[in-house]
Amino acid sequence: MRTSTISVSEEIYRQVREFLFYEAELLDEERFREWLELLTDDVEYLMPVRVTRDRGGGPGFLDDMFHYEENKYRLTKRIERLETGSAWAEDPPSRTRHVISNIRVAPGDRDDEVKVRSYLILYRTRGDDPRYDILSAERKDVLRQVDGEWKLARRVVHLDQATITTHNLSILF
Amino acid sequence: MSKGRDAVADALELLEEASRAFEKGMLLPKLFNHPGIFELEKERIFKHTWIFLAHESEIPRPGDYVVRYIVYDSFIVVRDDEGEIRVLLNTCRHRGMQVCRAEMGNASYFRCPYHGWTYKNNGELVGVPHFKRIYGERFDRSEWPLMAVPRVELHDGLIFVNLDAEAPSLKDYLGGAEWYFDFYTKKSRAGLEVMGAPHRWVVPADWKLGADNFIGDAYHTAFSHESTVKAGILFAENADFHLESPQWVTERAGGGLMQIPPGSYAGYPPSIVESWKQNLSPQQWKLVEELSIIPTHSTLFPNLSFLNAASIPNPEQVVPWLTIRVWRPLEPGKMELWSWFLVEKDAPEEFKRASRQSYVLSFGSSGTFEMDDAENWSSISRMARGELSRDLYLNYQMGLNHLEPIPDWPGPGRVYPIDYTEYAQRQFWKVWFEYMLEDS
Ligand code: FES
Ligand SMILES: [Fe+2]
Repeated sequence: MRTSTISVSEEIYRQVREFLFYEAELLDEERFREWLELLTDDVEYLMPVRVTRDRGGGPGFLDDMFHYEENKYRLTKRIERLETGSAWAEDPPSRTRHVISNIRVAPGDRDDEVKVRSYLILYRTRGDDPRYDILSAERKDVLRQVDGEWKLARRVVHLDQATITTHNLSILF
Repeated sequence: MSKGRDAVADALELLEEASRAFEKGMLLPKLFNHPGIFELEKERIFKHTWIFLAHESEIPRPGDYVVRYIVYDSFIVVRDDEGEIRVLLNTCRHRGMQVCRAEMGNASYFRCPYHGWTYKNNGELVGVPHFKRIYGERFDRSEWPLMAVPRVELHDGLIFVNLDAEAPSLKDYLGGAEWYFDFYTKKSRAGLEVMGAPHRWVVPADWKLGADNFIGDAYHTAFSHESTVKAGILFAENADFHLESPQWVTERAGGGLMQIPPGSYAGYPPSIVESWKQNLSPQQWKLVEELSIIPTHSTLFPNLSFLNAASIPNPEQVVPWLTIRVWRPLEPGKMELWSWFLVEKDAPEEFKRASRQSYVLSFGSSGTFEMDDAENWSSISRMARGELSRDLYLNYQMGLNHLEPIPDWPGPGRVYPIDYTEYAQRQFWKVWFEYMLEDS
């Protein structure tokens, strides 16, 4: 399906873009509690495992195995862990840069929702190690209006890699 | 060329010295990041030991295949048209192109992209474009099949291969470890199934660090993983839950047991508990029922590990999960981690889903335990390159001259009363030195 940026109003498109940029800012500045506030209570946050298939076999995203298969409770637990003072994988923290582009917005399945697709380039570096990791993905989101604010109701992250080249996924997408 | 040979010569020399030091419980960190050691491991370990490649459930129907690796060799693990499991070297007999490049699928034939040689899913070469005209009548295609690995054996659905035709049988190789593995693999009447495909990711850490950790490093849990236990993700009273549980050691494997609340069966549903009990011997079941302990972490030499535990994916919901993983060597100090999630085929659907969520939260690429492990092992591998650090012997002495095996233990091997000990890790290295010093 072709989703055009003009299938919603300019105003909604602007709001969605602001939302995604603000969200990226929160993640890159480690304001994770504020990030949690951007999620609906029934949020689904998924990153399916991808396998290499022959052409004709589809893009290879599995529907029964995930790198992330989170709800709000589990995302909150992941953030709580970071706050314990002993979450070594992120202490010292990764320095990340979420670069969001190619934003396309289409009407959602409900009146108060929109479907959003965006591209993500995620840069990550840690400690004084000169190496860095770059991961790229497409994100398929559903944003919902809750009390006059946009919230993330669903995110499916489609990574471009089948074999991931960063040592762990202790970062969010 | 000569550089490679120098590294191996250097490795052979340091192995002698390192093995003598190891007898005193001291390990040379260089072994975690050394080009010559890596070369020798490929030849002396990975060509002679039983290597896990896949689970039977990943290829249920004729033609189903997955592509798997031993270091750099690629293999097609396929169920042929007759239903037999074959493990074929994924290298074309004409010029050596990788024949099958998808990671999984279903195929009756594998066609090489370079010149179109075509192999049946049992490995037979059945198609060579223009073969009569260009090779003549006497060309015998049957002499050029995809190479079949010398030995393929199954244990409870786990598909192992050995590249050494003279190797002992898998049963002998397991040598008692299966008594402990039964707790993972025999919970169900229908057997286990892999869900989806394994997580695969590259970690700049030596493969041995994963194997060494899973065989016997219960000690790190309390500190490395304190945050995850504190956040209430794991089903455990506190991060020291391994301290008072036994550690088992057999010839080529080892692992630890974990206490579970009596009568909790680690959160397995009643239907699974029932078949679990029936499938185990009374001696084995005694552990679950009377001692309230179950095998949790373990490693089978060289690079297969298991982990069975329970996490809390939703408020008040305790859900157990099982993972098996392979630490695939890529380079000195660098591995690719393969982590499978398995669940009982006949378990209720809601349980399967919850168990997967419980696993994803805990282990695998984004697992809240696994992420701290990757951090530690990457750091150790990097430090092992330092001119001073790589020669600074590491302490592997925990429990030496301090603990005695439990005398009346119902299972095979030696079993020590606490899991905060390094008998299993020392056994891993003992076997490692044996293979590495054997010039076969
Ligand atoms: S390399 Fe495979 S057909 Fe030539
Ligand atoms: Fe760990």
